[in-house]
Amino acid sequence: MRTASPGLVLAVGLAVVVLAATAPAGLHGRPVPAWSWIVWSVVPVASFALLRSKRGGLMIAARQLALLLPTVFMLTLPAVLFAAASGGVVVGSALIARSVATAAAGLATVTYLGPVELIAGLRALRLPERFVDIVHAMLVGLTAVVRQVKDMLRARTARGTGHAPWSGLISAPGATLRGFGRITAGLLLRSLERAESLERARRARGAGGW
Amino acid sequence: MHIPDGFLSPGVAATAWVVAAAGVATALRVERRETAPMPAGILGSVAAFIFAAQMVNVPVAAGTSGHLVGATLAAVLLGPWRALLAIAAVLAVQALLFQDGGVLAYGANLCDMGLSGCFVGYAIVRVVGRFVSGPRGVAAGAVLGAFAATVSGALGVSIWLGVSGLYPLSAILPVMLVTHVAIGLLEAALTGAILVTLLRWRPDLVAGIDTSVAGRRPAVLALGLFGAALAVAAFLAPFASALPDGLEKTAETLGFASRARAALPGLTVVAPAIAGVLGTVAAAGLAFAVGRKLETVNDDAHR
Repeated sequence: MRTASPGLVLAVGLAVVVLAATAPAGLHGRPVPAWSWIVWSVVPVASFALLRSKRGGLMIAARQLALLLPTVFMLTLPAVLFAAASGGVVVGSALIARSVATAAAGLATVTYLGPVELIAGLRALRLPERFVDIVHAMLVGLTAVVRQVKDMLRARTARGTGHAPWSGLISAPGATLRGFGRITAGLLLRSLERAESLERARRARGAGGW
Repeated sequence: MHIPDGFLSPGVAATAWVVAAAGVATALRVERRETAPMPAGILGSVAAFIFAAQMVNVPVAAGTSGHLVGATLAAVLLGPWRALLAIAAVLAVQALLFQDGGVLAYGANLCDMGLSGCFVGYAIVRVVGRFVSGPRGVAAGAVLGAFAATVSGALGVSIWLGVSGLYPLSAILPVMLVTHVAIGLLEAALTGAILVTLLRWRPDLVAGIDTSVAGRRPAVLALGLFGAALAVAAFLAPFASALPDGLEKTAETLGFASRARAALPGLTVVAPAIAGVLGTVAAAGLAFAVGRKLETVNDDAHR
């Protein structure tokens, strides 16, 4: 199902992210206003509802949001500890609520749109054409490149050249770096060759410069 | 190094957005003036590679691993302006699709990892290239540049967070610099590992650097770098000591500050400076080793 106006959806989603991210969280000794708590409560609930409507399942939406939480908590924890030392539990809780709300709003917006309509949304927002083209090309190549990474890592493990429990940059620096250099340089060459053949195919079909 | 949303004050985030937007606008203008513009498909492909290379983790020790950031590598492959566009695309996809780094904090992240990562790294590669010609100069310069770019990025993150009022600048700056000296060395090693392989297999791909101009003595460069490291250390030490850092503040609150100072005199003051000098010396050693590794490569094949 296509979204009628991806630009509008993206603009609204980004506006919600900005609103949630800029709602005062009690830093500099100021109190946390009531409207901040309202925003941080409403945004995750609305994001959850949007994810559920798009993905069609309670558990799938809950899983998507839950996957965000470890990253959010890991990034927020040092700031929370710092802020809580001076501002108390309220400021620490406010920072966590703010981070969860902004991440949930971003996730819901992009999940609602999907990659293709995200690009359409970026174009509709009148971002520079060249930049959007690069992001588009990146998304096109990303799936293939990520699949290649997984294949290469699986092949390395199958050949028994993966990392032993005690191997690493400290215990075997030369071998680890050589292995990393070969696998990533190989990945770059494959990515470029794939991009070049795609470009040739585009031009052969009469497409202009991308 | 990604700053998530909710950490920067609106003014700081807006300032960072303006700086980053100016950088991207300039990059687009430079790209438009190119007589042979690179297809967006190729630039996007390099961006996808950088994104994917961040998935390949290197085990540092039992239980920990690190990965490449890739800004200096991109600058060496594409030139700094195109690399900035590629990194801007990587950060945009990470922020929008994976919530890795915030939308509001995108400007700050692009300043720290894109502008700083590409241009600091590229400048050092150019400087080293004036002293050491050919692939060795490129690889050694990229190793040093990747280290410097990581540390300068960490400096940027500290400033954004400190000015936003989230942490005291005097607390976050030493912590970020000391930890990112280690991370910078890892970035330098990974950048060197990839470039050594690339310069052996496909030297023609390293298009961002003109390696044909060289001639000054490497010893002058080594002395210059060591002098620069000492100068930075001398600048940072008094700055880091101007206010009590997080550990000192905690120690004062808990009442063991005087005992800590007696046991570890000046440690928190000089730690960033010592780490900076040791890190620079280690990165220079790494650059030398990478240069030696490439001695067998025919310089003419690269030109």
